[in-house]
Amino acid sequence: MYHFNFTPVFDNFDLLLYGAWLTVRLSFAAMVLGLVVSVLGAVARTSRFRGLHWIVGAYVEVIRNTPFLVQIFFLYFGLPAIGISLGPNLAALIALVVNVGAYGTEIARAGIESVPRGQVEAGRALGLGPLQIFRYIIFRPALRNVYPALTSQFIYLMLTSSVVSTISANDLASAGADLNAKTFASFEIYLVVTALYLALSLLFSGLFRALQGALFNYPASR
Amino acid sequence: MNILKTLVAAALATAALAVPQAQASTLKQVEAHGVLKVGMLVDFPPFGLMSTAGKPEGYDADTAKALAKYMGVKVQLVPVTGPNRIPYLLSGQVDVLVASLGITPDRAKRVDFSRPYAGIEIMVYGKKSVKVTDAKDLAGKSLAVVRASTQDQAVTKIAPKSTIIRRFDDDAAAVQALMSGQTPLMGVSNVVAAQINKAKPGEFNEKFALATQVQGIAVVPGSTKLLAKINDFIAHAMKDGTMDKISEKWLGTKIQPFVRNGSVKAALAAKK
Repeated sequence: MYHFNFTPVFDNFDLLLYGAWLTVRLSFAAMVLGLVVSVLGAVARTSRFRGLHWIVGAYVEVIRNTPFLVQIFFLYFGLPAIGISLGPNLAALIALVVNVGAYGTEIARAGIESVPRGQVEAGRALGLGPLQIFRYIIFRPALRNVYPALTSQFIYLMLTSSVVSTISANDLASAGADLNAKTFASFEIYLVVTALYLALSLLFSGLFRALQGALFNYPASR
Repeated sequence: MNILKTLVAAALATAALAVPQAQASTLKQVEAHGVLKVGMLVDFPPFGLMSTAGKPEGYDADTAKALAKYMGVKVQLVPVTGPNRIPYLLSGQVDVLVASLGITPDRAKRVDFSRPYAGIEIMVYGKKSVKVTDAKDLAGKSLAVVRASTQDQAVTKIAPKSTIIRRFDDDAAAVQALMSGQTPLMGVSNVVAAQINKAKPGEFNEKFALATQVQGIAVVPGSTKLLAKINDFIAHAMKDGTMDKISEKWLGTKIQPFVRNGSVKAALAAKK
């Protein structure tokens, strides 16, 4: 029978909480910035400007068809060769934003394309300007349509952020690995680390649900 | 019951007899054979490894060849492994071990060691331009280590609070952090440091040592004359540059002072 010994875990719980706090900050910042990148990317991808369309298309394809681990190594170990030296936390944030931005662009594009053409024409007929049309007629319904897909991508982003421990960022996964190297209580440590990630996921999805209620509680058009 | 006991005792006695007794290889025997049988590791680069032609080579192989040359006999390199190297020696299958055997009190109970011929050192290593001479100077600087390595433990113990210790999962990533300039310093062994120096010559240097482990040539206890001859060889090879040449070839540096000035006594005292 395996004897659980949680003493090493709870004696160093502050380390794990500190790691979890970095994971939360990193993920939250990457979600907010990633949303901005996604919306801009989707607008560019659906725009009539051919060049813009192609550039964003290339960005999406490159990022979605390469592993995150390689992207983060490129940013952290590769860029210093051309004089750009990013600290581990900053490199991690940029890598996460760039990564989630590519997936988010496609999700947001699907949202924009789901808005019926006739709705936009109706807006034009009512005399709305292009910005007003985008804001009230395209953006909000588009976001509402793809909200579940976008938020699950964000939760996935939070879980993916555990990879940043490979470039020595001090996130929750790295705190767990450090503690494991010190105490060798792998089973207990990763049980608690898993529980903390699960708690963070539930926290974020709770937050997203609350936001959904606040932002999109107007009656559906269909 | 009594019969059983007797049987067990008999079996044990037989087993004890079956274990080869430690047979001291005398200097005379080796010289009479004209061959020195040397046990060495072949899975411990750069000290012992197999060449692409399938022959043992490395720091240990070169040392063994120089030793045999000094004794005026031929050399026969016998591949051994970490766990079986001492049994190989004690059972008389090899005359000596030049097998990167670290001089420790436990091993000194079973074999006799020569003075150190090689050493492994873990150290703080980094960019030449960074001024660091002791642990205090690490304050505020960042340093790459492999998570949970001996370097990590040593640095964590002595570094001031403000040192940023960046932990990576393996040697390759930690070395990459140093080479790409992400961290100006690194905790590393002299073996890996030699590889870094080969990739980027002259860019980095040793700052200070964290810990050292010296390695000795081992013989069966009581082989006094053979051991004396080996010690003569090492003293001679240290002086005439043979060991420096071997060390430069495999480790990229001359014999370090902790090896050159080391002794079995000092090594054993340091481990107590």
